[in-house]
Amino acid sequence: MLGYATRRLLALVPTLLAASLLVFLFVHLIPGDPAAVLLGDSATPEEIDALTREMGLDQPLYQQYLLWLGNVLQGDFGTSIFFRTPVTGVIADGAETSILLAVMTMVWIVLLGVPIGVVAATRHGTWVDQITSGGAMLFASVPTFWLGLYLILIFSVTLGWLPSSGYPSVSDDGGLANLRYLLLPSFTLAAPNAALIIRLVRASMLDVQREDHVRTARAKGLAPWKVATKHVFRNALIAVAAAFGFTFAALVSEAVVTETVFSLPGIGRLVVQSILRRDYPVIQGVILIIVVLYMVINLLVDLAYAWLDPRVSLK
Amino acid sequence: MFRKNRWKTVLAAALATSMASTAFAAGTLRYATIGEPPSLDQHVVTSDLATTIAHHMFEGLYTFDASNAPVPLLAESDRIEDGGKTIVITLRKDVTFHNGEDMTSADVVASLQRWGEHGSRGSLLFANVESVEATGDHEVTIRLKEPFGPWKNLMAFINGGPAIYPASVASGAGKEPIAPEQYIGTGPYRFGEWQPNRHVELVRFDDYDSPSGEPSGYGGARKAEFDALRFIPVPDVGTRVSGLQAGDYDYAENIPGDLFADLDANPDVKTILNGGPIFGLVFLNSKDGPLKENFALRRAIQTALNKTPALQVAIGPEKLWRANGSFQPEGNVWYTDAGTDNFSKGDAAAAKSLAAEAGYNGEPIKFMVSTNYAFHYDTAIVYTKQLAQAGFNIDLQVYDWATLIKKRSQPDQWDLFFTHHGFVPDPILISVMNDNYPGWWATPEKAALKAKFTASSDPAERQKLWSEIQALIYEQVPTMKTGDIYTYNIASPRLEGLGEATLIWPHFWNVSK
Repeated sequence: MLGYATRRLLALVPTLLAASLLVFLFVHLIPGDPAAVLLGDSATPEEIDALTREMGLDQPLYQQYLLWLGNVLQGDFGTSIFFRTPVTGVIADGAETSILLAVMTMVWIVLLGVPIGVVAATRHGTWVDQITSGGAMLFASVPTFWLGLYLILIFSVTLGWLPSSGYPSVSDDGGLANLRYLLLPSFTLAAPNAALIIRLVRASMLDVQREDHVRTARAKGLAPWKVATKHVFRNALIAVAAAFGFTFAALVSEAVVTETVFSLPGIGRLVVQSILRRDYPVIQGVILIIVVLYMVINLLVDLAYAWLDPRVSLK
Repeated sequence: MFRKNRWKTVLAAALATSMASTAFAAGTLRYATIGEPPSLDQHVVTSDLATTIAHHMFEGLYTFDASNAPVPLLAESDRIEDGGKTIVITLRKDVTFHNGEDMTSADVVASLQRWGEHGSRGSLLFANVESVEATGDHEVTIRLKEPFGPWKNLMAFINGGPAIYPASVASGAGKEPIAPEQYIGTGPYRFGEWQPNRHVELVRFDDYDSPSGEPSGYGGARKAEFDALRFIPVPDVGTRVSGLQAGDYDYAENIPGDLFADLDANPDVKTILNGGPIFGLVFLNSKDGPLKENFALRRAIQTALNKTPALQVAIGPEKLWRANGSFQPEGNVWYTDAGTDNFSKGDAAAAKSLAAEAGYNGEPIKFMVSTNYAFHYDTAIVYTKQLAQAGFNIDLQVYDWATLIKKRSQPDQWDLFFTHHGFVPDPILISVMNDNYPGWWATPEKAALKAKFTASSDPAERQKLWSEIQALIYEQVPTMKTGDIYTYNIASPRLEGLGEATLIWPHFWNVSK
């Protein structure tokens, strides 16, 4: 297992290099000029040129890339053109929001998706199954911005129970109670994903139920709940595990609509705003970190497979 | 048993902290902004959002009162000598910077010089300045090459204007905006913190020395009632509105026209129309392409446009726009209808024959617009249709704002582009008056009138000259005005002391909740 993990980790290096080159090229290929954005409407071409030189953006692209790559390898992602502070700090701040949001969303997904999926599968074909499957279809189809705005309208504007937007860090005044700012956004983000998990859990449980070992278990007179949990559910989890992994990565990087609706200072909004501002170092840094995140989660999912299913070979 | 109790304790603690944070918020004004400003350095940045935040922190020698006339702020008085060529400004004594130092003439000289050399609007005045000197601890003398009428208006305009920084900050600064740790001003609030993506916070400056006099506009006495002003980026407009209704924000800016009727009728929300309108501008390329020096063709394009339907589509409620061709709004001292006959004819047949006379043969006309501002794009769509009806071959190119401002600096990339302009107190500040602004309008006729306009200090003569310049703008069409747009903000009814809006940057001194 250890050897396998090490080999997989080493294989990440060329992938990362390729990804960093692609990220760098794409970012610099967008037309637009950070100096012009920064200096505003009234800047003269000479002033823009001067600032471009100062920021080193007049150097040949390959030089800029090598310089950036060298610094990244030493843990220095550069300085944000817009915020004038180190990129690592800007990303770390956004990461707190994004990771907490993703974790809370996963909690919702697991709490809603797994039990409902199991119930739908065990009551396959009954009205319970039809209602849960129909409900899942509905939530999978609702756009997040719409659901988010309605939740704000109900729980913030009308009932006044929860804050409508923003997220003060848990290290600020309020401490862990600040997590209530993430309740509505995480539910919004969870709804379509939980719906998919419901369908996935249901489908894989139904698949497994048809297998021989389940019939054997039933035949030897095991209690139905024991068959459902030990023989069906555990096997069904293998397919679900991969889905959990990628859902988590997607939640960190693709929550931009939810982050915008709830005005959360997360990674998704940061990268979109940085693209509009042509803040190259931040875009490059965030995307590179997202790439790493995906690769690590990919690896973890593979390792989880092996743990869940000893038949999977790690050679 | 133990577990149960522990959870109770945690819950009680969480409840207590959440209540504590509510109590703390009572002293903080929470302002929902559309985004984040590029920097708060007033010398070089002209973003309105930057000024909305920064003018609580930085002050200039002059500011505007409720009638948009310049009044002293850090200055105490001034006198003009030498036929308008020498300006002697006496400064207020006992003004303290946020770093505890007293403001002296050295700080003012350093700030004016940095603004003059690197500031966004500084070169306008400083092209004509011979010297700026400290002629006493609290006296500054400016010597001009020629008398320059708009000097006080320029100094009072804080957006891209001469805020006074300590000499230690100003003398080392170049064109690039100064860093947040150097945000040291004289205003009623001082810089607190800037958490990227979260908020910019200003806190009350306890040693503030207020100017005297009844508050009027930005002028008169200033008192910081809040402990802190917190500017929070809330890019989604739906969230700005519902956040204000839910009590999470006290003030929210830049609300679209289609929500106006509902919000105006809602007793839980106060709508505040901004004091000065903004206006859309379509610039025409004077340097390259089919429109270069072809004034007749430009007039044909203007003749094809009817501005009213575009305003109805792009803005909505009639309270929020005026199809006004004058570059300054009605009631303003600079209002004039000179040349505005051709503002909004919308006559496709006349435009077609004018274009044929001007030698137009259906060459494509590249029209750049950005989707970052919805009203730009909506207006451009209406115009494109009207121009097509008059036989113009419009190639509409849609970009994001950063791409548009990059492309507009390249004369061969465009023929028309859409932008908008804020209200300015002196027409000399309108972008089309700047020969280097993309579009590059610099005809001899303009140069002659502009020279007279800036040299004169006589208000009546300057108004007359401005009407001639406006007539010239309608004749040579370097840019086409799309009409006045009154943007609006919303506030919680709990806020007291807001009064009538001055210009477009709300101020929160003398305001409490």
